[in-house]
Amino acid sequence: MTTPSTPTPEQPGAARAGQPVPADGRVRARWTRVLFLGVCSFALWFLLFAPTLQHNAQVSPVGKRRTVSLDITGPVAALSRTLQLSRIVSVTGREDQKPGGTIGLIVAGPKPTKPVKPPTTSSTQPGDSTGNGSGVPTTTTTLPNGKHPTSADPLRVLIVGDSLGIDMGGQLQYDLAGTGVVNAALDARESTGLTRPDYFNWPAELATDLKTASPEVVVIMIGANDAQDFLGPPDVPYTSPQWNPMYAQRVSSFMQEAESGGAQVIWVGMPPMENPGLSAQMTDLDGIDQTEAAAQKPPVVYISTDKSLGTAQGGYTAFITNAAGQVVNVRTPDGTHLTPGGGQVVAQQVINELVTLGYKV
Amino acid sequence: MLFPTIDFAIFFAVAFTVCWLLNPYAGWWKLGMIGLSYVFYGWVGWSYCLLLLLTTVVAYGGGTWVSAMRSERARRIAMGVSVAALLGILGWFKYYGFVSVNLDNLTHALGFGRAVPLLQVALPIAISFFTFMAISYVVDVYRRVLEPARPLDFALYISFFPHLLAGPIVRGNELLPQIRRRRDAENIDYARAFWLIAAGLFKKVVISSYVSSDIVTPVFTSPTQHSAPEAIFAAWGYAVQIYCDFSGYTDIAIGLALLLGIRFPQNFNGPYTARNLQDFWRRWHMTLSRWLRDYLYIPLGGSAGTESKTVRNIMITMVLGGLWHGAAWTFVIWGGLQGVGQSFGHIRRLSRERRGLPGVADGPVRVWVQRFLTFQFVCLGWVFFNASGTAQAFAVLGRLIHGWGQSSPLVTPLLVLVVAGTIASQFVPELTVSHLQAAFSRQKTTVQVGILGVALLGITTFGPVGVAPFIYYRF
Repeated sequence: MTTPSTPTPEQPGAARAGQPVPADGRVRARWTRVLFLGVCSFALWFLLFAPTLQHNAQVSPVGKRRTVSLDITGPVAALSRTLQLSRIVSVTGREDQKPGGTIGLIVAGPKPTKPVKPPTTSSTQPGDSTGNGSGVPTTTTTLPNGKHPTSADPLRVLIVGDSLGIDMGGQLQYDLAGTGVVNAALDARESTGLTRPDYFNWPAELATDLKTASPEVVVIMIGANDAQDFLGPPDVPYTSPQWNPMYAQRVSSFMQEAESGGAQVIWVGMPPMENPGLSAQMTDLDGIDQTEAAAQKPPVVYISTDKSLGTAQGGYTAFITNAAGQVVNVRTPDGTHLTPGGGQVVAQQVINELVTLGYKV
Repeated sequence: MLFPTIDFAIFFAVAFTVCWLLNPYAGWWKLGMIGLSYVFYGWVGWSYCLLLLLTTVVAYGGGTWVSAMRSERARRIAMGVSVAALLGILGWFKYYGFVSVNLDNLTHALGFGRAVPLLQVALPIAISFFTFMAISYVVDVYRRVLEPARPLDFALYISFFPHLLAGPIVRGNELLPQIRRRRDAENIDYARAFWLIAAGLFKKVVISSYVSSDIVTPVFTSPTQHSAPEAIFAAWGYAVQIYCDFSGYTDIAIGLALLLGIRFPQNFNGPYTARNLQDFWRRWHMTLSRWLRDYLYIPLGGSAGTESKTVRNIMITMVLGGLWHGAAWTFVIWGGLQGVGQSFGHIRRLSRERRGLPGVADGPVRVWVQRFLTFQFVCLGWVFFNASGTAQAFAVLGRLIHGWGQSSPLVTPLLVLVVAGTIASQFVPELTVSHLQAAFSRQKTTVQVGILGVALLGITTFGPVGVAPFIYYRF
């Protein structure tokens, strides 16, 4: 137990001179002093941390909040940089962190015991079975249809996506790894998409993942966060006529990148959402995804989740009846994300598609 | 609104100023704090405020009704109806989906067809916490432990924002007297408050986030590819994660309330130093434990009857305590495990006492063995608590059998240090912490500003980009 004492004039409790310090030894203070202390501490932190806060504001969704945040953090960050205070934070590497969770690629299932050979690619001429008939030489992939993966030579699958990709991908990875003949890698990030590479650069992330996992199949489920403005300059508002072609171009180039190593690409569409506005946006994006999937050479396989996770008419529902006649809750109460049961439904769709493609999993 | 956000920091600066400016005016102070609490709760969705208001009206009406009744029978009926109404609200929002799906599948399997409408009911944040506070008020009025409160006092008791989202579950006789009397604006225990807030933020933002991302989530997401040591550290890591997450929240809540001149009861007391499960539940989420004891276990008969009745009461209490956390079979198993562990301890204690031995064996080696075994049992429960389903939980546990001989890249020296350090920190005497708080309170203002500013910088620098919501928010 500490000895009670009386504060000296320079001590914080001096405003109440004459009052003894409580037996716990902690000096108390008037509320105005506590407010002053709190505000000053916050201001010091704000000054030191302003460059990071400014960065966070820059990569946040476009809107009034972002504008106000940038207006506030901008001048303070400039002051912090001028005083070289920002160096304190930069030495920790704080600004290098990726958003959407710090988890990187998670790999499950048997590791290949033989040297991994990437799927082969070959140049083909127009007029052959895989040509586009346009007279332009194209690069196509020889798919390992009918492949019999083994634990020594497992099928390598890469799953990427946003938060719905996490819901689906975690279950798909679990199921695939459980076969004992699939090496499944999952890299899914919350709050990410293809619209805002300033926030999270999926093309760069995919390049790293492709190099690490060397997949034969890439499963993509991205789009829930994409119905927003492209940041420029010039900015392209979501409602502008330029938005759809620009998004289509990004989807197309992402699909091409996924196919570049010769992998079979499977694109999983967004399900109907409880919010009618968001649901309509997802329908639009699904349309773009589907068109771009068909336009790739070779075509990307597109899996619709409209009916597997929705009503017979493709509308939103939280409950479906599975093949065994059991009711399954497939959506979380936010009306957007998938429950484990919902993830299982989509994962099974992907596995069925793999079997259709000839993979013995 | 989440505590570790700039939005909340700005909100609290306003709330703190309003609180102390209105402090001399009792009525305005209550109205101001209620308004601020509803803003805080409605930040994510204003419709939830209606539910908070409904619970407040039902519980207040119930308490008034109980106190107005003269006969014991009438009082009991009034109390029963009020508690049933409050549980009805909780049950609708929290358990309807779980019950309806399971009931529907059962009736379908038995060939009775489908009779239960399937509805997706959104789970309002914190409904379990404020419902339990409301029930305790009605029952306390019935038991004559508490006089019926005035409407504004009661509305603030339920909605006071520091405890609103995830406790502590404060009793009426703890908070209502503090609401009624004027708080001392000249005598704020700010050193303890700032310490609790900083410690809570550090636990939540740095430690909890780190173990979650570096061991718990990878192993629970794909258990089959991880080794046995990784599965063990994932279970230990989750023990650290949930402790830092929940006790971090509680520390912040207690610290914020202290700055507003209100004292909350303690909610954690070194839970991983416990020597048996009963001891654990006296140290973990203490305000829930005493709620379950006083409003469920003792009314069921407690330990007053035969041994088998006591075991029955323990099991009912702990399984319902598990269900309080969420509507899922994993929580039922978790609660069941707690019940089995406590029942085992109870029977063993009685058996020892019958032989003339002390209830719990003593001795330094035995104490540490008891602590070790208790911690492992608690971690076994945490595996079910964290798993998305029973299959995932058994997959994690299965690694303890099949996962040997593999490399364990996730078990790094830093992870071992963080897990061991967090558990070891629970053995630090409270007096040492109190000395540090006292030393801080004696520093000059400039030094205090420097310490707090740098502490905040350290927390935000070493924490991840974007902090996940507190685990207990969803309960």
